Amino acid sequence: MVSLELLKDHETVRSAPVTEAEALVDVRRLNLWYGKKQALYDISVRFPRNQITAIIGPSGCGKSTLLRSLNRMNDLVPGVRVEGEVLYEGVNIYDPRVDPVAVRRQIGMVFQKPNPFPKTIFENVAFGLRLMGFKGSELEDRVVEALKRAALWNEVQDRFRKESGLRLSGGQQQRLCIARAIAVEPPLLLMDEPTSALDPIATQAIEDLITGLKQHYTVVIVTHNMQQAARVSDRTLFMHLGVLVEEGPTELIFTKPKHPYTEAYITGRFG
Amino acid sequence: MNRSLESPPQAFSTDPWKTRIDRAFARALLIPLAVSIGLLALLLGDTVYRSFSVQVVRADEGPGKTYPFGLSANEILRQELLARGYTEEEISSSLQDPTERRVLLLQNRVELMWNTQDGPFRYVVTGLRDERVEDFSLAEGLRRWNELKANLGEGERLVLNPWLDQSFLTRPPSRSPLTAGIGVAIWGTAWVLSLALLIAIPVGVGTAILLEEYLREGTLNRILEVNLRNLAGVPSIVYGLLGLALFVREFGLGPSILAAALTLGLLGIPVIVVTSREALRAVPESLRQAAFALGATRRQVVFRVVVPAALPGMVTGVILSAARLIGEAAPPLLVGAAAYVPFFPNGPMSEYTVVPVQIYLWVSMNIPEFSRVAAAGILVMLAMLSGLYLMALYLRNRFRREW
Repeated sequence: MVSLELLKDHETVRSAPVTEAEALVDVRRLNLWYGKKQALYDISVRFPRNQITAIIGPSGCGKSTLLRSLNRMNDLVPGVRVEGEVLYEGVNIYDPRVDPVAVRRQIGMVFQKPNPFPKTIFENVAFGLRLMGFKGSELEDRVVEALKRAALWNEVQDRFRKESGLRLSGGQQQRLCIARAIAVEPPLLLMDEPTSALDPIATQAIEDLITGLKQHYTVVIVTHNMQQAARVSDRTLFMHLGVLVEEGPTELIFTKPKHPYTEAYITGRFG
Repeated sequence: MNRSLESPPQAFSTDPWKTRIDRAFARALLIPLAVSIGLLALLLGDTVYRSFSVQVVRADEGPGKTYPFGLSANEILRQELLARGYTEEEISSSLQDPTERRVLLLQNRVELMWNTQDGPFRYVVTGLRDERVEDFSLAEGLRRWNELKANLGEGERLVLNPWLDQSFLTRPPSRSPLTAGIGVAIWGTAWVLSLALLIAIPVGVGTAILLEEYLREGTLNRILEVNLRNLAGVPSIVYGLLGLALFVREFGLGPSILAAALTLGLLGIPVIVVTSREALRAVPESLRQAAFALGATRRQVVFRVVVPAALPGMVTGVILSAARLIGEAAPPLLVGAAAYVPFFPNGPMSEYTVVPVQIYLWVSMNIPEFSRVAAAGILVMLAMLSGLYLMALYLRNRFRREW
């Protein structure tokens, strides 16, 4: 129905563009290939500080790829090639002098499927802190703080030292993963469809949590659930076939989409 | 109305033949299971049966006195020596001197025997010249018990001998079946196995981590994979020949524990690599991703997340390969497990023998009672193997993970 040829030289439709000063992350003309297959075409977008940006689009549109290129997780895929710049606080994280490990310590990530380590709840949250050299009572304080912020503290406070993270329910596991990611206080938090494996009640809890995280963190969330994007995000990016079709404030995207593809997608007439 | 209740509609009726065939098929599948269980039970039962015999023994020197079960060997020796006119001082001094003590223990067989006529268990102390007059199988001996008892000659006794008893486990081998023990072979196995694992575990686990976590995709990995699987299938005697040529001759280690440990270590490495790789591969990719996303380096990912998560599987693999190494007779035979080692091994360069080799040698002896000694040895070996398998089972259940 929509061919790549039509979108290839597409100029992203932008409403209320983010200024350079507001942006925590500034993606400039990003192209990405898996082997010979190009997955991202000339993406330019800014993610504003202390706001939640949602990336939506049909399956295989490159939304996860874009998210993963913000903390260089794509480097782990063999045969990946990146062109363009991703400026984080003004520094290009794809500069050859930049250590990807250091980038990932600054930028937290939550995955689609809850993936706690087979360790205790405490050790799960402490993992990133230990990598950064925290020890003793400071480590404990920050673990407890992270569990509180992830709204998990009340449920696990009497057993978090002994019980394995794998014994929690799916929704609790995902909140544990969020606690693990925010324990190191990353300014930017990436979430890759964090509720797609959860039931509606757990999803509700996670969404409430994400909205609350806005005060401290900048959040980029990939979702295939448009209601979710509408509920939690401040800005929305619509991607299709590796191209950023349209971006803007969430209400505008959902009420007055400018591009016909965006309209087709949000009204459910797509594919 | 009534009719439809009597005969259900055609669509839901069952085809009696199909049901019958299904049931017959399910039953037929039980046959091989029953056959294998039956054969195993037969084997085990036969071995246990053979490890008992009824014997007429003549104690020329020793009084053949029986002592109640529960007395220590020391105490029995003391009483025995007292009866022979030694003083308390002489006895305690000779019991404290290790050499003296060993000679005493060797000369005075302190045995747990089953004296069926006078209560259940008794210690029977007999002298060195305690000689077997006749040996009967369990069934025959018990059937003719009274007849044999009536026909006992001067100084002869009738005993039910469980060949597998406590002292069998601690005694060195002997030319006489009555005093032959498996102690030295057990120690030899313990030495060889622990040294072999000391060599094989670091090499095997290290190789597995390198291949699985560092060289994931690549030609080298694929070549090594094929070769390792082939090596795991090479007959163990080939490793024995390699050990003989390389460790015994070339490196001049001679027929020592070290040479056997190196050979068995080589034999164990491919198995450990293959099982450890499978354990590492079973760790979900999402855990590695999570650790990388938290800013861990590859080394931290591997050693803080992947290896701890894979540890139960790796330990199980190591135990199973240890169980395989215990049972190997061909490589130690080639690299110099000796036929008769009267002394306990005391270091990596000493002479040794291992349990399967010892059993093999007993089986090939031409004194008939050695078949009973061999049966007792086989029981010991089965117990060792079962112990290892139970340990593997326990560890697997103890650390079972749900991803």
